[in-house]
Amino acid sequence: MIKNYLKIAWRNIMKHKVFSFINVIGLTIGLSASFIIGLMVYYDYTFDNFHKDGDRIYRVVTDFKYPKGEFYNSGVTLALKGAIEEDDNFDVISEFYVERPLKVENRAANLNFKLPKFVMYADKDFFKIFDYKFIAGDSKSTLENPNEVILTEERAAKYFPNTATSEILGKTLIYNDSINAKVTGIVQNFNGRTDIVFQEFISHPTLLQTRLRGNIIGKNWNNTNSNSQLFVKLNENADKSVINSNLKQIADEHKTKEDIKYGEERVFKLQPLNDIHFNDNYGLYNWSGGRASKSLLNNLILVAIFLLVLGCINFINLNTAQAAQRAKEIGIRKTLGSSRKQLIGQFLGETFILVLISATLSLLLSKWLINVFSDFVPAGLSFELFKIPTIVGGVVLLLVIVTFLSGFYPAMVLSKFNTISVLKNHLAVGDKKVRLRKFLTVFQFTIAQVFIIATLLVGKQINFLLNKDMGFKKDAIVSVYKPLEERSLEKIELYAQKLLSIPDIKEVSLGGPPPASQSSNTTDMRRMVDKQEVYGEIQLLAGDTKFLNLFEIELLAGRVQRNDTVRELVINEAARKYFKFTSPEDAIGKTLLYEKENLQIVGVMNDFHQRSLRSKIKPMTLRGDWYRPRWSYFQAAHISLKSDSSENLKSSLAKIDVVYKEVYPGTDMRLEFLDETIAKFYKREQKVSKLLNWATGLSILISFLGLFGLVIYTTNRRVKEIGVRKVLGASILQINTILCKEFVILVGIAFVIAAPIAWYGIHDWLQNFAFKTNISFWTFLVSGFAMIIFALIVISIKTIQAASVNPINSLRSE
Amino acid sequence: MIQIKELEKYYKTEEVQTIALNKLSFEVKEGEFVAIMGPSGCGKSTLLNILGLLDDPDGGSFKFNGEEVAGYNERKRAQLRKHNVGFVFQSFNLIDELTVFENVELPLIYTGVKPAERKKRVEEVLEKMQIMHRRNHFPQQLSGGQQQRVAVARAVVNNPKLILADEPTGNLDSVNGNEVMDLLIDLNEAGTTIIMVTHSEHDAKYSHRIIRMLDGQKVTENILV
Repeated sequence: MIKNYLKIAWRNIMKHKVFSFINVIGLTIGLSASFIIGLMVYYDYTFDNFHKDGDRIYRVVTDFKYPKGEFYNSGVTLALKGAIEEDDNFDVISEFYVERPLKVENRAANLNFKLPKFVMYADKDFFKIFDYKFIAGDSKSTLENPNEVILTEERAAKYFPNTATSEILGKTLIYNDSINAKVTGIVQNFNGRTDIVFQEFISHPTLLQTRLRGNIIGKNWNNTNSNSQLFVKLNENADKSVINSNLKQIADEHKTKEDIKYGEERVFKLQPLNDIHFNDNYGLYNWSGGRASKSLLNNLILVAIFLLVLGCINFINLNTAQAAQRAKEIGIRKTLGSSRKQLIGQFLGETFILVLISATLSLLLSKWLINVFSDFVPAGLSFELFKIPTIVGGVVLLLVIVTFLSGFYPAMVLSKFNTISVLKNHLAVGDKKVRLRKFLTVFQFTIAQVFIIATLLVGKQINFLLNKDMGFKKDAIVSVYKPLEERSLEKIELYAQKLLSIPDIKEVSLGGPPPASQSSNTTDMRRMVDKQEVYGEIQLLAGDTKFLNLFEIELLAGRVQRNDTVRELVINEAARKYFKFTSPEDAIGKTLLYEKENLQIVGVMNDFHQRSLRSKIKPMTLRGDWYRPRWSYFQAAHISLKSDSSENLKSSLAKIDVVYKEVYPGTDMRLEFLDETIAKFYKREQKVSKLLNWATGLSILISFLGLFGLVIYTTNRRVKEIGVRKVLGASILQINTILCKEFVILVGIAFVIAAPIAWYGIHDWLQNFAFKTNISFWTFLVSGFAMIIFALIVISIKTIQAASVNPINSLRSE
Repeated sequence: MIQIKELEKYYKTEEVQTIALNKLSFEVKEGEFVAIMGPSGCGKSTLLNILGLLDDPDGGSFKFNGEEVAGYNERKRAQLRKHNVGFVFQSFNLIDELTVFENVELPLIYTGVKPAERKKRVEEVLEKMQIMHRRNHFPQQLSGGQQQRVAVARAVVNNPKLILADEPTGNLDSVNGNEVMDLLIDLNEAGTTIIMVTHSEHDAKYSHRIIRMLDGQKVTENILV
């Protein structure tokens, strides 16, 4: 029987090639999207799921709550560990400090490694929390003493090439020229996906030999550094609410007078291990690894569901439309003794075959799609995941679901036909079925239209973001950073000096990051106004006397600072208003209190956007390089070029690089283009836009293929009517109008439904931005008209052909 | 074999109720060949559908092999039908997507016959119908007469006790029509009961008995043998 079903299914697929093609395309797109997105979901949700007792492992993090908002820190104060040590809710408490050494040496082999990544100072309990497998050494007796280090297999092989593991034990590494550490253990790298990416574990007591000695001994409650990490493993019977209330009590006990005065609160929180991969607030240890975003994953899942549903809708529509053609077969089968159940089984089987064909195509496509969507797909995700039993099971389940979703309704409709009526050719197409088809078509086009409108508006907003005047010059500006390990100020001053001799360069200014950047430095300042203290955060921008001029930031009153080291402020308009100066001129000569020092305001500059347009313009001040020679904020030389044409740029950069190599021989130049930095602010938006473009294109494709299929069916069904009308004198245009009308009305209805949904969605999305484009009426009109015109073209391809047929042929064939 | 007594069937639309069978009664004995005649709309096809267990009467009694089947649900009717009744239609009603062999094989699949046995029986019946050489052709590739022979082959492959033929020669020319009638006679002589609805006096003469109907009622009954 199954063989018979398969045979007839295959022959039906081949007989109705166009419909089968439309069905397969729709389902293939939906399934491909589901496969890839499914893999991504699986990939991201299986991070760190392999640790023993992983559900009891937590990181302790710190949230700071200010009246003006919250600030999150993945670290805790060094003092916290001592305060919770006695709490028996914890099985293990382990602290570590993340610090990237400037240099590591294996002097015996004369090997030198600069800035190794993923190095931590771990206490002896770290390996009780994380179950590393020791290849050499012992987890119990290690890291207790200073000057010990444990390496992963990978790192050991890098530092001690061609050396047997057993021989590496006992060897010495030298960190930052001064700290010796003996290798006391080698552990296997984790096999599973993990965010615990560390490769090198120096014993915690060794920290006392570093610049952090003071912090370690002092254990200051008011100092929280994100490098100071604390992990705990809870007791099996631990009560989280008790832990949280204990942590709250500890935080309350250590509130300062100022915390109380300004309503500031610190909250120590337990962050589950599996939350690290997703939580935006605390970040990952591997910054370049890419944090997963639950909201992005959710949006992707939504896109996959929509595409899959669109494909299923085509299937339902085309199969119920075609039902009449299969009615005879159903009648005969029923007469010969087939039960309804058997018929439903047969049709579901046919559906399954189409789904299987689509799935096979999807699997082939997936390999390619993983590359196309590399922006979304995590770097470690590969096609190989399809070999995992869970994934195979998921795929099978998905195929069964899709089979039921698309096949069940047509199967019910087909198997329900009255035997006698179909054999007598008295088949009436129920109103209900036609109505359902219309409803599903409207649904499809609604989704497609929402995507179109959203794409247009998101594109418009991105355009707005990238082109809005930031309030400073951003084109033809390059920022060149001095090498990370380089401390000397003289060298960068020399570099700036030398740059000026290049004729392509208009101006050079030394400073910290450019006016808009990812990093910021913030402090508190205060001022007495009418015996009331105005107190608030202000961003610090470090730059020399030419900084404002180079970035073309307008000075509204006063002047820039006299020289690079004088302690004077040039505040922006936002700061001027915040600290209640009546006008820019009013601020000049007044002071702001910073720690215990009154700093004079010598200038007021115009506002500019320091960050992406998502955030508002905040109070800010320009200041010089106050801590020389102990520490210099001037990390970068900002270079304004005379021209930014690509040819000039290339030769200018080459010259800039030559000078860099003269000043810092043997070091690669680190540079950033300001316009690229700004574009990077909107990476997320660009991703959303790319995703929307794809979703729109695919949903349009599926919907129009479905529409095309329905048009083919309808015109075939009405071939006699067309013939009669033509005989009676109707023109091709008149006939075309009659045939197009019903479909265009459906597309029109879809537009009416889609417009408010799209408006609401985009309005909501735009709330993320402090500065936003307006939701223009024309985007809706363009989308609606484009859809209707496109629909007309698709419909007309078939209807004009049908209307052009000689009526004698169509009438005779009837 | 068949006993119907005061059989009734109505068709209702929103506004009118049409009586298709009006207290119709007659019997058909095993091995008989009965022709049913009458003008269009007299209820012939409705009767055939009920006799073929495709439809359920609204009133009266219908005994099949002594068993009262009026009021049987679809599932029970299908069970009885697939083991006992074969159909031959005016428009052949072959499945276009299946070959000759596969069309004839279908009733055997639904009655759960094993593949080897199916092959043997289908080949036997195709030989008998002289259509074996067309076994791998699709219905569209056959003439009307050939198609009807396939339909007859399909109707008899399961060795049903009863064959219901609805205008079996209606779509055929006289030569092919006569061939089909000869096939039916052969089957009847081999013991199969046949009830045939027809407009053709010529075909009706092949039967043992002609029942003439008008407005859902039996008008006359002529015994020919």
